[in-house]
Amino acid sequence: MMKRAAPFLACIGLLVIWQLASLALKNDSFPTAVEAIRAIPSILGDKDALVNFGASIRRMTIGFGVAVAVSIPLGLLMGRSRTVASFFNPLLMVIYPVPKAALMPIIMLWLGVGDLSKTLVIFLGVSLPVIYHSFEGAKAVEEKMLWSGAAMGLSAAQRMLRIVLPAALPEILTGCRTGLVLALITMITSEMIARQSGAGNILFNALDMGQYDTVFAMIIIIGAMGIGLDGLFERMRARLVHWSEPQFDIPLSFS
Amino acid sequence: MIEIDSVSQVFQTSARQDHLALSDISLSIENGAFVSILGPSGCGKSTLLYIVGGFVQPTEGLAKMKGKAIKGPGPDRGPVFQEFALFPWKTVLGNVMYGPRQQGVKHSDAEAQSRALLDMVGLKGFEDFYPKELSGGMKQRVALARTLAYHPEVLLMDEPFGALDAHTRTRLQNDLLNIWERDRKTVLFVTHSVEEAVFLSDKVVMMTRSPGRIRQIINIDLPRPRRRSELLLDPRYQAYIVEIERMFDDSDENELRP
Repeated sequence: MMKRAAPFLACIGLLVIWQLASLALKNDSFPTAVEAIRAIPSILGDKDALVNFGASIRRMTIGFGVAVAVSIPLGLLMGRSRTVASFFNPLLMVIYPVPKAALMPIIMLWLGVGDLSKTLVIFLGVSLPVIYHSFEGAKAVEEKMLWSGAAMGLSAAQRMLRIVLPAALPEILTGCRTGLVLALITMITSEMIARQSGAGNILFNALDMGQYDTVFAMIIIIGAMGIGLDGLFERMRARLVHWSEPQFDIPLSFS
Repeated sequence: MIEIDSVSQVFQTSARQDHLALSDISLSIENGAFVSILGPSGCGKSTLLYIVGGFVQPTEGLAKMKGKAIKGPGPDRGPVFQEFALFPWKTVLGNVMYGPRQQGVKHSDAEAQSRALLDMVGLKGFEDFYPKELSGGMKQRVALARTLAYHPEVLLMDEPFGALDAHTRTRLQNDLLNIWERDRKTVLFVTHSVEEAVFLSDKVVMMTRSPGRIRQIINIDLPRPRRRSELLLDPRYQAYIVEIERMFDDSDENELRP
């Protein structure tokens, strides 16, 4: 009981601190928590805002989906083949430390400020953790498990699909979960750089116009979206890999 | 059944160093024999088993199964590993059914056979458990059933009881013998336990420490079915153990000499 309530109590605590701090500071650009929360219904009731949210979610879904579809096979192949790994490793090492949003200006130059650029940035942001975890997961698959499969008559391709993939699944899903949060972050940053539509666009337009209660309301909405998505994903993950040995991770979610 | 013809195995440990794991091994294993390969750790005995399994290609020489060169793994040779290597995402029943299903056996037939096998290895009632819910001994029973399920002609057992506690190990040895004495499959059994080798085998192949060479082959002429309680009192059983232990002691002393 206490365990389930703890994250909610933490949220309430945070809101109380916020409320007290803003009352004490009396700063125009720092609305109180109550003011910010009051602004939420008007945003969610606004048709334009909902269109913007829809555009954000669409880009995020496509970017995340394509990234996962490409990264899992690539990561698994890298984990099982030294040749594939040594080909892609240097490439990934170069891309890894670059903040994906920093690539945004170049991508915009080439592909414009529309959906394609933003989706590509999300794709790049999601890919790396998913590739990395799929790679680690595939590498850790017990050789003897693959040998057992080979003795039963599984071909190399079947072993990849029916042994490496399920055996690496817990690790792959850990990567996907990190990827999901990164998708949300890159989604907002891409919309912040290329203002045109989306949740990030609403947030920064409000900032420009000095509507600080909307700014903070948007932060709450985006944060809630992140928590919600992560909670849903964690539930699905737990169902898919219920067979795996329990690990020592405190789930950072509300599921 | 199995012919191992002057097999050597070299592993590259680093860019300049090679390690000779097996040196010029020749051995033939008759149909239906229970043969143990016995030796200290690091003598390449598991490597020899992997070569017969087709999991490792020998650097030199050839292993043959029924006259045909072994080029890769196949369902005629079923491995059982010390690490169990069960599929953790499958239930106990799913693991055992995996081989027959892969061989194209109908689902209902595969399930019936697998249930019968699980009963035989003493796991009736655990069909729907996942490997993580089982003890080591139970996992190894599942692994044995899983391998028996696709009817290999040869069982390749790689220190299968090495990771188990003494009590579980003894029980599994007894059960393995009971199962084996029913259909007398050819078994190649790798172990470093002298008692285990003598208790189970028709023939014990003693290996030297690295590089692995065959030191001596001892035929274990003890009556079957073997019962541990009778064997422990049997002077012939004791003599075999003493003889083998003594030979290993001698070679250890030779190695320690400056």
